[in-house]
Amino acid sequence: MKEVIIQGLRQAYSNLVHMFAEFLPRLLVMLVIVLVGLVVAYLLKTILRAVLHLTRLDRLSEEAGASRFLRMAALPSMTELLSRSLFWVTWCGFILIGISVLGVAGLQEQISRLFLLLPAIFVAILILFIGLVTANFLSRAALLAAVNAGYPSPKLLSWSIRFVIWALAVSMALEQVGVARQTVIAAFSIVFGAFMFGLAIAFGLGGRELAREFLERNLGEKKREKYEEPQPL
Amino acid sequence: MAEESFLADDFLNQLMSVGEVDLLVGIPSYNNASTIAQTLHCVEESLRQNFVRERAVILNVDGGSGDETRQIVEQSSERREASHKGLTSLRTIHRISSIYDRSPSQGLALRSIVAAADLLRARACAVISPATTSLTPAWIASLLRPVYREGLDFVAPLYVRSRFQGLLARELLYPMSRAVFGQRIRELYSDEWGFSGRLASQCLEQDVWREEAVRARPEAWMAILAVGAGLKCGQYFLGPKTVSPSATGPDIVEAIRQTVGNVFWCMETNQSYWMGRSNSQPVSTFGPEHELSADGIPPSQDKMFDLFRSGVNELEPILASILTADTHAQIKAIALSDRAKFRFAAELWVKTLYEFAASYHHAVLNRDHLVQALVPLYRGRVYSFLLEHANSSAEAMEAQSEILCQEFERQKPYLLERWTAKS
Repeated sequence: MKEVIIQGLRQAYSNLVHMFAEFLPRLLVMLVIVLVGLVVAYLLKTILRAVLHLTRLDRLSEEAGASRFLRMAALPSMTELLSRSLFWVTWCGFILIGISVLGVAGLQEQISRLFLLLPAIFVAILILFIGLVTANFLSRAALLAAVNAGYPSPKLLSWSIRFVIWALAVSMALEQVGVARQTVIAAFSIVFGAFMFGLAIAFGLGGRELAREFLERNLGEKKREKYEEPQPL
Repeated sequence: MAEESFLADDFLNQLMSVGEVDLLVGIPSYNNASTIAQTLHCVEESLRQNFVRERAVILNVDGGSGDETRQIVEQSSERREASHKGLTSLRTIHRISSIYDRSPSQGLALRSIVAAADLLRARACAVISPATTSLTPAWIASLLRPVYREGLDFVAPLYVRSRFQGLLARELLYPMSRAVFGQRIRELYSDEWGFSGRLASQCLEQDVWREEAVRARPEAWMAILAVGAGLKCGQYFLGPKTVSPSATGPDIVEAIRQTVGNVFWCMETNQSYWMGRSNSQPVSTFGPEHELSADGIPPSQDKMFDLFRSGVNELEPILASILTADTHAQIKAIALSDRAKFRFAAELWVKTLYEFAASYHHAVLNRDHLVQALVPLYRGRVYSFLLEHANSSAEAMEAQSEILCQEFERQKPYLLERWTAKS
């Protein structure tokens, strides 16, 4: 009995030593990969930052209005944001490769799924960025046009345009990542439909007089007195 | 001969059949069927009466007119050839017609004209708008003669204006361009002007023809190019100007986008020239330097003030990114003042414009948006001007304009300070 117990313990100890002997080199390999990844990620970040400084991306981003939004969200400049993103994406990639070297059952599949998702995440981030810049640009253009033309509620118009573009960009990004596709499409349709319906009701009820004036001015014989500014040139 | 490859083969053939000329008159057209025949007649009359021995060409460049403009030009050329056969022994007046693009652009029209001038080695050129109904043969001679006989390189027109006409030019474009570029050319933005073949060749060498500022208002760019190159500029008094009722000019927003955008763009691209200059110099002027007529009634003002006030309020974040905190605070303060006592002082107006120019240089936001944000402030300034000068005489207004010009020159160091400040 005693011998069986000792035999079992010896067997367990031997297995443990064997396991450690097998695992330790893999762990070392993983650590090396992670360290190399850290160096590579840092180098890529430095190179990208220098290239973006040379291309004056921050000025472009400032001009497009994206920098203001980043400041509002307490985020760093566009150059810093992109170079830091590259650092983390690269390093995370190396960490995942390192983890896969450990050969932990079940983890392999999850990691490969995550790797497959990476391009989609990139595209989603790109869609969000383009959406952000476009929304900002178009909403500002609409605000200026409405203010200069003397339209009522220019901010409402500007925010409406911003909201619609954001909603579109967010739903497209989520669709790209594949997060609850059906739900996202349904949610977007509901939000967008509700928004348009709300606008239709608002304009229909609130803008009856305006619509009448518009039709009279453009189609009817009764013309409203037109505001004319002094000849500028 | 720089870069004539953008010219159509047919156009090139027509130019080559003309040979060299002394004078070239360019007429950019777009849907001017009602006035183009009269313009052509007037130009030809002027050349016949005033330049008897010179070889001349009349060049019509069309921006894709949808009406009968092109047909009228072609028919009038045929009629003219038939009626004048054998009567043009002392000179040759050629007529050429071409389409420069399918959509109108003053810049692209001018590009065709200067390319033709360069190719034909014209010594003096003029651009004439067919929309101008007050055109006389004397006008064309007035624009060509200082170039052809006096050796000037750029001749701007001077018009008679009513007291409340051309306020953008008088309150912003002239005083600012005078202070910045140092030359007292009053009408930088006009539809008629004259220039030398030498200036045409220099213009053709510039790679700017796709720039929006040049596409929209090439005449001011051309003048500033001449000023920067040290060429001789002048202005000629032409008299009162009227335009065809069908040719409605740009509204205030579009006018500011085109002209102020052009001034800022010229400042950006000619920094090395203007940054080292102070004060301004008069240019050769033929006839009275300016003439405001006593007629004209002040336009409606209330809506203008409302648009100023709502603009300052609605565009607050945009203005905050363009103006310094102090200037922005002053503008917000006057926007709250009583409309009857409202004053947009010249000092604040100049400071505002210089800060806009510097922000344009530093590209703090999209440049077209930045220029559009100036519209409500311009309305405020005009409202203040109208309030102050509703009953002023033309002389008092002229005196006030001169004071504004001096204020622009006085504050130029502030412009330089903002311009060179780190964004």
